[in-house]
Amino acid sequence: MHLLWNVLRHAVPLIVHGDPYLFSVVLFTLEVSAVATAFALLIGLPIALALGLGRFRGRGVLIGLANASLGLPPVLVGLLLFLIMVPRGPLGSLHLLLTRQGVYLAQTILALPYVVALGAAAVQGLPPGLPAQARTLGASRLQLAVLAVREARIGVLAAVIAALGTTLSEVGAIVIVGGNVYSYDQTLASAALFEADAAHFAEAVAIGIVLSALILVLMGGVSLLGQREGGIGLRFRSAT
Amino acid sequence: MSLHPAGPSPSELLTCERLTVRRGSREVVRDVDLALHAGEIVALLGPNGAGKSTLLDALSGGLTPTAGRVERRGRVAVALQAPDLARRTALANVALALAWWGVPRAQRVSRAREALRAIGAEGLAERPAASLSGGERRRVHLARAIAVAPDVLLLDEPFAGLDAEVRASLLEDALSALRSPTRATLVVVHDRAEAWALADRLAILIDGRLAAAGSPRDLLESPPNATVARFLGYDGELATGATTLLTRPTHVTVDPAGPLRARVTRTVALEDGMRVELTLPEGRVYAVSPLPAPRVGEHVNVRLTGGVRFTDEARHN
Repeated sequence: MHLLWNVLRHAVPLIVHGDPYLFSVVLFTLEVSAVATAFALLIGLPIALALGLGRFRGRGVLIGLANASLGLPPVLVGLLLFLIMVPRGPLGSLHLLLTRQGVYLAQTILALPYVVALGAAAVQGLPPGLPAQARTLGASRLQLAVLAVREARIGVLAAVIAALGTTLSEVGAIVIVGGNVYSYDQTLASAALFEADAAHFAEAVAIGIVLSALILVLMGGVSLLGQREGGIGLRFRSAT
Repeated sequence: MSLHPAGPSPSELLTCERLTVRRGSREVVRDVDLALHAGEIVALLGPNGAGKSTLLDALSGGLTPTAGRVERRGRVAVALQAPDLARRTALANVALALAWWGVPRAQRVSRAREALRAIGAEGLAERPAASLSGGERRRVHLARAIAVAPDVLLLDEPFAGLDAEVRASLLEDALSALRSPTRATLVVVHDRAEAWALADRLAILIDGRLAAAGSPRDLLESPPNATVARFLGYDGELATGATTLLTRPTHVTVDPAGPLRARVTRTVALEDGMRVELTLPEGRVYAVSPLPAPRVGEHVNVRLTGGVRFTDEARHN
């Protein structure tokens, strides 16, 4: 108990006085989360819509795979990416290893299953008569996609929250791919690991408190947005 | 059996010839010939599982026929059975349908309001879809189909799941809203009363085949065979030698001066009288008797004033 108190006593001033290192890690964490979640949405949402609305053979198997990939161990993903990115690997020529770009890629891959699996489930949960009616009245693929995302917005938002949560708190893959290089490609989670490994417990706890606060603010904010019907971030242009 | 009145004509907006559709290994629609003309409303009637919705799907292009062909002149709109609406106002739902149909943005709201007015739903325009009752949702659903102004309109059980009062009210509004001199409308209905109210012509589908087609009055007065007759409400059956007389309750009167003697074997109370089952040596007929009606077990005299006769051969066709 004495140790915990001591650690907290040293951690709080680090946060309050705005440690420059801590500030840079917060910025990079936000950057990684935003970029990875955005790319996961960009790639994953069309896949989720195809799985949720499509009527093709093998759809059930693909949905099963998407659901199973939610349980992908981040360390395994990191290891596979490492083997792909090493100079002799298939993506070696891109020099992504130990770079921020490599970290973006790893986090995007980890966030993608959440968008695909939860997004597809949300779209599948729509009343079947609505997309079917849209099809019979000549809706284009884009119109159908906009309709589905708009109608399944609560579920899609849940997918965004889950993806955001992963990109904020995941540590296994980015440590392997990015190398956890001090003050360069560290996120709050990997920086906390770095400090804990070095027995800098006050710094590690300070980072942990900031990370928890960030998760609470960001995910709570997104959740609140979703609870408002037609929330600000999810208001689509009306067809009228 | 064909629903071509007199060969192909320029007013034909949709025709199908020898249309056969399979679902899995089962032939659900078989050898159906049908033509829809501008300005008419055709009701497609049939028992559950007769293949009505499958036929509608094939006519709209949603299902590929196994055999035969469908020819469409103009755009076809389908109003599916489920009146699922998007989470927005009734007006926005209709406008959304117009957007899917490709109507320019500037025209959507005015056309949506016009369609809602036509179906008696202008008061619902600003209501969110989630707050609408079953009957109101059906109105908005119909408004979507009317608003797009297709050349051919296919409606799959537009009055399904409504209570009698709401259905009657919607039916009244739909009568005028669906009528258009340039549009051909095919409406799948489950209830005969809806068909009588709406249709210029009836097509009766039984076991995937077009069992009868014609004007409602003609079909009711002279059904082509006993199966169709029974489907159209001929519930009484008296066998005399090689012929069978089928009757509807309107053909049977409980009359003290009637020439036939029958025993009352069952009664069911109706709003304005009693439905009475009458058993004769030749079979059983049904009548609607005013109150006070005869009681079960009582012997009464009966007069028959109509019905259709079939020989044994025709009975089984």
